[in-house]
Formats: sequence, structure tokens, C-alpha cells
Amino acid sequence: MRIKEHPVLSFERGGKISFYFNGQEIEAYPTETIAAALHAAGVRKLGESPELHRPRGLFCAIGNCSSCFMIVDGEPNMRICVMKVRPGIRVEEQKGKGVIKT
Amino acid sequence: MVIVGGGIIGCSVAFELAKRGRRDVLVIEQGYLTSGATGRCGAGIRQQWGSVLNAALAVESTQIFENLEEHTGYEGDCGLNQGGYLLVAYTQKEWEQFQRNLDVQHSVGVDSYAVDLEGIKGIVPHINTDGMLGACFCAKDGHADPFHCTYAYARGAQRMGVDIETYTQVLGFEVDGGRISSVKTDKGNVGANVVLNCAGNRAAQMAALVGDELPIAPERHQILITEPVAHIMSPMVMSFHRHFYVQQTPHGSVIMGIGDPSEPVGCNVRSSWQFLEHCAWLVTQTLPAFRNLRVVRQWAGSYDMSPDRNPIISEAGGAEGFFTIAGFSGHGFMVAPRTAILVANHLTGLEDSLDIKRFSASRYKEGELLLEPSVV
Repeated sequence: MRIKEHPVLSFERGGKISFYFNGQEIEAYPTETIAAALHAAGVRKLGESPELHRPRGLFCAIGNCSSCFMIVDGEPNMRICVMKVRPGIRVEEQKGKGVIKT
Repeated sequence: MVIVGGGIIGCSVAFELAKRGRRDVLVIEQGYLTSGATGRCGAGIRQQWGSVLNAALAVESTQIFENLEEHTGYEGDCGLNQGGYLLVAYTQKEWEQFQRNLDVQHSVGVDSYAVDLEGIKGIVPHINTDGMLGACFCAKDGHADPFHCTYAYARGAQRMGVDIETYTQVLGFEVDGGRISSVKTDKGNVGANVVLNCAGNRAAQMAALVGDELPIAPERHQILITEPVAHIMSPMVMSFHRHFYVQQTPHGSVIMGIGDPSEPVGCNVRSSWQFLEHCAWLVTQTLPAFRNLRVVRQWAGSYDMSPDRNPIISEAGGAEGFFTIAGFSGHGFMVAPRTAILVANHLTGLEDSLDIKRFSASRYKEGELLLEPSVV
């Protein structure tokens, strides 16, 4: 779901690109965030609570909370609500605490 | 008996006194329990010291930390985590000092040993060993929760009849015929023939109120903590040469701090951006895996520095019954359990295997310093 018409804002989305979410190809616009693209593709569960493993969705959407942490190109704890989509990036759901590269 | 200061020292001494039958004890704290240096400390527990007294205090304190819940009857978890301390050497001088320290440590039963660069990699695989000569490691070192530890002692003391007054300011003391007779506070006066000054970085100020001059000076030390990530490092990694220490908590966040040799004397405990930048740069030289972690919080606390970086346990010259237990110079938390026993034994006339006189402030006049070579 994307807003197509808005009384005040106008959208210049640019041409379509694609990236991978859990290995599956997803279409997106280069002007939107990873979270927006996933939302448009119907992905609502973005992560899990660390201890009880309950599903978590989009919460603050401004990069403050930890609800949307995902692994982007191998880098954990990425705030996908404020991170723009780039063509071909590999986004994966993060289970538990991020594993940092050593 | 009045104890000034509700940090780990004041609370542990109150507990050990109560356990030895002295229950007419009042602890006066100007803020809340742990509101001074205890609640701001790095909470490390290290047995790898360079002087026999410190090593002995730390070894026996660690044994108490291992059973602190049982020792104090505490229902919570004091959060002890023994992941070891890895002390890395960057200079030849430091490396030679470590060899001497090991002899000192082994003489009091510390299970510490030296490791080469490969051994370091075996303990922390992702560490950058560039410039290192070797390291010392003790697996029984670690850290604990300073809040829970203090409350364990405080609650245990209260159950035995000790009173604790928080948010109470000590304004002065009355001395009668050369002996301490009462404590003046903003909530009234309280009679006391023994006062224990456990006021940390304010201990010199307190002692000055009875005319005792003590060389204890406050010095700011800053700390930061990162977002939590999966466990990748067990021990506290520490360098004296580069003045830093880093640990990963059981929760996954990484706590790190540095000692700044140019830090001026003073009660300033504000945070600075310079620390943030310098600490992050310094630590990621050695531990590059942490380079992308986000910092979630920073704070500062005050060391109570003494000239030889060792505690002062001393009775005031002009006020009999006024004892100062302070000047721990950044390692009060880890030696508190055994220090409290030493103090309580002395005040209740019990014998102790350690000589409390070695901690007397008179050592500065007599030139018998307790020099500790290994402090960050």
C-alpha cells in the first residue's frame, strides 16, 4: 500500500528498483525507506522481542526505538525505518541481538 | 555510631558491624544509596594487583562477591559475572611490571598467568594485538552489579537493626574533650561517639570539619555504554599504557571508560564530547569489532584519589572516634567486602589477618607509601 495522491504533498518516486528481503526479491522506489517498501509489500512483522520472542512491527518510524532492527548486507541492528532502499541490497530479519562482524 | 555515606563502603561497613553485634548504627546519605561513585562505577572486580595488600583485599573480596547473596541474605541477584580480566601490555616497562605483579599475586593465591599474543587471541579472538607484547589473565576476575551489591549490604544491615537516612546532609561535627560527640545534619543533631567517614570524594571535606587534613582529591572519570549485541567478549580488556578498560555486560551492551592523565582535580561529573570521541577512537584501535556500535548513554563519576592510589583508613588526630575510610582511587567497589570486614573487626576489637595500620594516613608523613603500580 502506498499513498498515491495527497492534498499537500507530491511524490516523485523515480523508477522502480528491487532488493532482497529474506532472499525474496521485492520491488521498491529509490526514494523510500526499506521499512516503507516492506510495508508496501505487505510485510508487517519486522522483528522479535529479545526475550519473549513476540513479533514486533513498525513503531517509532523515526530511528529512535529498536523495533525495526534488521540485518542489511550483513550489518546487524540497522534501523530500516530511516534507511533508504538501494538496488540489490540484501535485507534479512534479525532474530535476537545483532551479531557483529569481527 | 554514625556512618557518613551510603555507597558500597558505608553500606558494607554498616553490615559487617551489625553482624558483629554493633546495631546502634545510623547511615547518613546525602542523596540515595549508590548516588555517588558506587552507582557510577565500572563495577569491575580485579584480583590482578601489583601490591600485596591490594591483591589480598581483592582476593578475599572476590570470594565474598561469589556468595554475596548468601552472605547478606539478599533475595535479588548481585549480577556477578566472572569472565576474567585481560590486562594487555604495550610497553616493555609495563610487561616487566606485570611479571613482578604475577609474583605478588601468586603469593596471595591469585590464579593469574601471563599469555603471549596467540594466547590473547585465544581469549579474545577479534582483538588487534598490534603493538602488544603480551597480557596477563585471571579467569576469576569479572564484574558485578554495583546497585544490587550495595542494596544487598544495606538491606542486610537494616534487617539487623541499622538505620539508614537518605537525602540527609551532614553539616558538621561536635567534638567534646578531644572525642567526637555528635553529628549535625540538616534534619537535626544525632549523638555519636564513633563516626565513620565513608564519603568518597567528599571525605576530605568531611574530615576537614573536625580539623583533620587528608590528601584525598576528587577526579572525574567518564564512561560510555553501547547498544546491546550478541555476546562476543567475555573478559574485561584493560590497558594501563593506553588508559582504557572495556567489558561486555551479560545483557550484551559494551561498557568502556578511559583514565585521562590531564583530568584536573575537581568535583565536576559532567559528560564531555571529547571523551566520547577519544574513548571510541582509542578502544576501537584495540577492539575494531566495536567500531559500528552506537553509544546509547555516557556518564561520569568521581574517583577519590589518594597520593599513592590506595585507601586511607585512619582515625583523625584531633577527634578520637572519627575514622575516615576513603581514598580508594577508583577501586573501592572491588575491595569493599574485605575492607568492611577489616574495619568492622578493628572497631569491635576482633583480630584480623591484615594490618589496618598500613592504611593509616600517617604513611604519607612517614614516607611508607603503599604504592600501587596498576591503576587506570
